[in-house]
Amino acid sequence: MQILMQLIVSGISVGMIYGVIAFGYQLTFATSKTLNFGQGEALMVGALVGLTTINFLIGQQLGTFWAYCLMLPVVLAFGALQGSVVEWLGVRPAMRVKSESGWIMATIALGIIFKNLAENIWGRDALKFPSPLPEASLSFGGIRIQPMEIVVVLGAIALMLGVEFFNRRTIYGKAVVATSNDRDAAGLMGINTDRIITFSYALSSMSAAFAGVLVAPVTLTGATMGAVLGLKAFAVAIIGGLNSGLGVVIGGLILGITETLTGYYISTGYKDVPGLVLLLIVLSLKPSGLFGKATIKKV
Amino acid sequence: MKLKFAWLVAAGMMAAPAMAAESIKIGLSGPFTGGSSSMGVSMRDGVKLAVSEINTAGGVMGRKIELVERDDESKNELGVQIAQELINKESVVATVGFINTGVALASQRFYQEAEIPVFNNVATGSVVTKQFAGAEFKANYIFRNAANDTIQSAMIAEEAVKRQGFKKPAILADSSNYGQLGKTDLTAALAKMSITPVATEKFNVGDTDMTAQLLRAKEAGADVILTYAIGPELAQIANGMAKLGWKVPMIGSWTLSMASFIDTAGPNGDGAMMPQTFIQQPTTPKRKAFIEAYQKAYNIDRMPSPVSAAQGYDSIYLLAAAITQAKSTEGRAIREALENLGTKVEGVVTTYDHPFTAADHEAISDNIPVFGLVKGGRVGPAHPEDIEGDKALRIKPKA
Repeated sequence: MQILMQLIVSGISVGMIYGVIAFGYQLTFATSKTLNFGQGEALMVGALVGLTTINFLIGQQLGTFWAYCLMLPVVLAFGALQGSVVEWLGVRPAMRVKSESGWIMATIALGIIFKNLAENIWGRDALKFPSPLPEASLSFGGIRIQPMEIVVVLGAIALMLGVEFFNRRTIYGKAVVATSNDRDAAGLMGINTDRIITFSYALSSMSAAFAGVLVAPVTLTGATMGAVLGLKAFAVAIIGGLNSGLGVVIGGLILGITETLTGYYISTGYKDVPGLVLLLIVLSLKPSGLFGKATIKKV
Repeated sequence: MKLKFAWLVAAGMMAAPAMAAESIKIGLSGPFTGGSSSMGVSMRDGVKLAVSEINTAGGVMGRKIELVERDDESKNELGVQIAQELINKESVVATVGFINTGVALASQRFYQEAEIPVFNNVATGSVVTKQFAGAEFKANYIFRNAANDTIQSAMIAEEAVKRQGFKKPAILADSSNYGQLGKTDLTAALAKMSITPVATEKFNVGDTDMTAQLLRAKEAGADVILTYAIGPELAQIANGMAKLGWKVPMIGSWTLSMASFIDTAGPNGDGAMMPQTFIQQPTTPKRKAFIEAYQKAYNIDRMPSPVSAAQGYDSIYLLAAAITQAKSTEGRAIREALENLGTKVEGVVTTYDHPFTAADHEAISDNIPVFGLVKGGRVGPAHPEDIEGDKALRIKPKA
């Protein structure tokens, strides 16, 4: 029982990360029906910018904890900027000409460019990210958790609640929701939908950058860290449903927990298989995802 | 007519100095960026140190050695391109390097076909020197001065079972060629001592959560963890054990001495043990001189990968001795000289006394490596008595 709980706890902390990145996919899909396929790279660049910032702040005689706190706004701002650039360069031109697939190529290309840029600036080695909390694990009735893992879960929940609150309680958020529901109608009501889409991309990359600095102390930082995470999160977004915020969180938890459980109870060699099988099952039985609403595309 | 003559003179003047000081070109292929770069860069620096020493002392046969360096980024396809470039465009007389077994295996066939010797100074896959050793090949152009995986896995099993008395080992290996081939070697070495590992677990390069693997090993009652993987994932294993509050010794292949393992695992990595052909300690006058020269040349205290640096350094001296003996830069003559090396070469790892024969292309025998131990961010000897006094210099027994 204790082992099962330990596996579930580890699965939750891995799954939450998948969930936050997938949440970023969901944000842009809701407003523009497009995705940033460079989401993993947004995470990676965010984490590396965070690493440089935190090392600079530690160099200024700041403790790791305060350096980490001060680093967060810098990373969030950088993420928002990076997302706007992706939208401006990759997505807007494609949408203007009503291209069905131009944005796919453009966001993948931008992802590759960001990766090469990171390789040139930070090198290709995996770098250690200073941990703001002690690395010794805490024990809850025999189940051991690293303090940073708790922060990952809490941080992910806080980010998603923050976005939900913004959407429901503020006038700008309502404009985002209106654009998601019906872009043309929202435009006719005087909402600048182009700006809303840029904003959703900024928010999406911001959440990816945030996820990057959340995982970095537990894992390692490097130019290749985004590739696997971005792909897993994409699977999560499909399992959970691309237009459901709650869906991607639950999808993330499902994938994270199945991975650790399969690794332990079946074989560590087959750890990644059930997630992909689940993906295929969901795609064939409920293509809009477990929590997605089926939409009829009118042509 | 006059103009034509002038051109001829000019062309002659340009060609003449190049003829007189024609250098001996040696290729250098290894990963200088990416996950294996700490090994690649140390190897390169060791190679360059040896080359500059030889050139300062007058070169080989009165000619300077010129290195042609290429970064293979641990990529097989890039290694192949570099091999073709070095052979056809740069016309190297030999190539040293290769950190990754996969890159070595993909690239070597071009040298073999062109009859140009290859000196593997770091790659450890058992098959590397055997690729062209069969009866269907007239001669084998692949040499090595690194401890291969057969030697390393036997040493790991010996250390864990015989010397330290562990009975229930668990094997953790990554899913790459390196990890899986090493796992097979390890299982075979344990089987010779009638020991079956209680758990054999796998993970991918880039995995960050080792909970499932470690819990399986723990529940199987493992009393020691034997590893075959590279730095970052090894660090995740050490950190994962600390997280689970479970501490058993880690013994594994020489990659446990990688800076990326030691730095990322921090205190959790203390106590990890691995076979080493060289430990950064001045146990012989040659090693003392080498360490001091290296620290001075590159202005660092701790070598990122001392084993790679020492083996890189030695590979050049072995090659230079062979070229001197062959009195030729022709590939076939160098190979024959290497197989019958008449002069003793005093290297950092060992003193090479007739290290190769036509049938044996491995300079490092199983008595040469000793166990290193990670402590306080550095690798020291695990059993200091192993390298005390006259045991410091371990020489390959005569065939």
